[in-house]
Amino acid sequence: MGGALVRMVGIGKRYGGVQACRAIDFTLGAGEVHALLGENGAGKSTLMRILSGDVTDYDGQIEIDGTPVGFSGPPDAQAAGIAMIHQELDLVPGLSVADNIFLGRELRTPLRTVDRRRMEGSARALLARSGVRLDPRRPVGELRVGEQQLVTIAKAISLDARVLIMDEPTSALTTAEVERLFDVIRELRRAGVGIVYISHRMEEIAQIADRATVLRNGEVVTSFDPRALSTAEVVEAMVGRPVQTMFTTAETDTGAEVLRVESLKLTARRPRPGRRDPDGISLTVRAGEIVGLAGLLGAGRTELLETLYGVAPRGAVEGRIFLQGKEIRPRSPRQALAHGIGLVPEDRRTSGLVLFHSILANTVVSSLPAYGRLGVIARRQERAASVGMAERMRLKFGRLQDEVGTLSGGNQQKVVFGRMLLTEPRLLLLDEPTRGVDVGAKAEIYRLLGELAGQGLGVLLASSELPELVGVCDRVVVLRDGRDVASFSTANSGEGELLAAAMGELQ
Amino acid sequence: MTKNSVVATLFRFQSVFGLLAVVVAAIIFSPRKNGAILFVSADNLANVVRAVSEIGIIAVGMTFVILIGGIDLSVGAMLGLAAVGSAVLMVESDWGFLPSVLLVLVIGLVFGALQGAATAMIGIQSFIVTLAGLQIARGLARIWSDGQGVAIAYGDGPNEAPASFALLGERTFGGLVPIPVLIFAVVAVAAIVFLRVSAFSRHLYAVGGNEKAARLSGVPVVRVKVAVFAICGLLAALAGIVHAVQLNQGSPNDGIGYELDAIAAVVIGGTSLAGGRGSVAGTVAGALLLGVLNNILALNNIDSNIQLLIKGLVIVAAAALQRLRPAS
Repeated sequence: MGGALVRMVGIGKRYGGVQACRAIDFTLGAGEVHALLGENGAGKSTLMRILSGDVTDYDGQIEIDGTPVGFSGPPDAQAAGIAMIHQELDLVPGLSVADNIFLGRELRTPLRTVDRRRMEGSARALLARSGVRLDPRRPVGELRVGEQQLVTIAKAISLDARVLIMDEPTSALTTAEVERLFDVIRELRRAGVGIVYISHRMEEIAQIADRATVLRNGEVVTSFDPRALSTAEVVEAMVGRPVQTMFTTAETDTGAEVLRVESLKLTARRPRPGRRDPDGISLTVRAGEIVGLAGLLGAGRTELLETLYGVAPRGAVEGRIFLQGKEIRPRSPRQALAHGIGLVPEDRRTSGLVLFHSILANTVVSSLPAYGRLGVIARRQERAASVGMAERMRLKFGRLQDEVGTLSGGNQQKVVFGRMLLTEPRLLLLDEPTRGVDVGAKAEIYRLLGELAGQGLGVLLASSELPELVGVCDRVVVLRDGRDVASFSTANSGEGELLAAAMGELQ
Repeated sequence: MTKNSVVATLFRFQSVFGLLAVVVAAIIFSPRKNGAILFVSADNLANVVRAVSEIGIIAVGMTFVILIGGIDLSVGAMLGLAAVGSAVLMVESDWGFLPSVLLVLVIGLVFGALQGAATAMIGIQSFIVTLAGLQIARGLARIWSDGQGVAIAYGDGPNEAPASFALLGERTFGGLVPIPVLIFAVVAVAAIVFLRVSAFSRHLYAVGGNEKAARLSGVPVVRVKVAVFAICGLLAALAGIVHAVQLNQGSPNDGIGYELDAIAAVVIGGTSLAGGRGSVAGTVAGALLLGVLNNILALNNIDSNIQLLIKGLVIVAAAALQRLRPAS
């Protein structure tokens, strides 16, 4: 390799008080596949958004072919031959595959009308190059997520980019599709395209990458030849602590069993792409115990919580669910709540709150029958319950009549929490409870969880933040592909083991 | 009171202020007879409210439906079906007053509930379900009446409706208040109180505000939807009974286009078509505003086509004002 195709020197980027990138040096050669590794929040995405022109105010310098560049936006970067395939697929569902590939740069006939035949032909050739057999006339919305992923890849290739950034391109692909994608990558590599490959899957990186760089807390930790290091060593670099492979079956024997799940399996009647329904999960939660659910994206954490809460898609459920020793099978949130199961959903804005309704209305909606009689609300009781909850949650608010949407993210989350606690649950299911919440509110939520567990509540906490799982939970169950693959006591093991198990190295 | 809260209050009671403005305008532009302002005469005012009572009753039900983020296009046809039903049952089938009215109300309730079930359980948009419901109700009305209007005569003989039914069209309180107005007032007050005190109303607003969040909070979404459409159908049937008594007939063509007037009243009343925000009080003000507007234009002998035009502009103005509402 002569001069590097891309050279990023001393890249720094600060978001408020968070230093997302700190003096990062990163190079990419022509015909090189460079893997980028790191935990969530390590700075991978920020670095690549800088390279693709999405983030324009940063420290440091970027050179392409030895010439310093400063992009004004993604189109500018694309003109310089840099294309990024985002994790969120930016496709228009109602348009055909060909229309999507050529969106905004449609091929025209001499009469300036859209030249469908030429677009479909080119699309077919592009798809064939990506090893996909797809009718370019099919609407994208009909395709599986994996196929959609392949369409975005074909679209990126059609840009004739010299630098291709792929952010978890295989998250929804089948093994066969991954193989074909790798063939395409190899072909691009031969053609001299430089590829940045972001993934959590070690086996893929060992297979396809020429070089790998690990980021942690916005800094480069190490760069290495992916074939030379073991997963354990890589995980150690990512987490920053040595991995001790230590399994333990010792469970905190505080209190009686609240939840027992035995080989839970859901076969959806109409399987949806991208969903990983439970495929044989067993676990228990005791009173006063906080059990974590770990796993990579698509491991089936949310789907397990949904199944327990009665909101999973319809289908055949196998296995058994026991709540306090009694077998149950909730078919709706209402039933789940009646059994004493509460859920704090992942996205409070879309699934948790009515943002333009009052704090009061949002806190009491799940526990209304408790206030008043014959369907008439006793306003004073209702108010008292809401005020009591706000105090218990240390909610920062003006008046109970204020719209919930005016509160900060952390305080909004407390309202969702409070609403569930007013139903007096025995088991609380939490899905990423601290996502989008500032550090102070995070600490409050952790304090509250400890308090609740102290009062004998069982908690099942799904999170993709390893420090949170290790710090908050008594025990962590790791899911992979809809199955529980490991269980750790956090007293004896740390983030490294969790990550390794989630990535599939330890069995 | 800060300036902001004054503005907020103005917007909150926008429809009431709008109604006041229209009333003031009506007084100013009212024709006078021997120095008396015709608009404010007791007779005229009673007529204004009497004229809006049917649309008003329907609009109360429509408010419920729109509050949960739905729409009900079938209410006009349901009014026609109920009017036909009342006439046919009492005149041709010789049913008594109470059984006839009860059956008609039950038909409205069940018809509404079925529409609610279709949108809630099958997941078809209410626009489509009630568009179909409109055709079905209209068809049923034609079949039931053989496609003819059925005139209502009162008396004890065969083919005569019981005199008790005619009472619904009379006036009460010393001949001041027409009974249809009283029915509208009772329905409106009952709905306002119901929405203020019932636990159900919390569920209703939650479903309209964020259906997914409501479901995850344990709100019985299907039950709420079925109940709301049932209420709307029931009130449309009630309006149909009032209609039959006011016109002394039931015709399968009664109530054509009423759904749009009802929606207009709800929109002018400040209820959001997106659901989760609005009030029956606003709807009542909206219905009265439309009624006063029609009345003053008619008093001034303004061409009915011009009336339509002005009505359209008022609806747009009301909707535009709501867009200006400050996001509190």
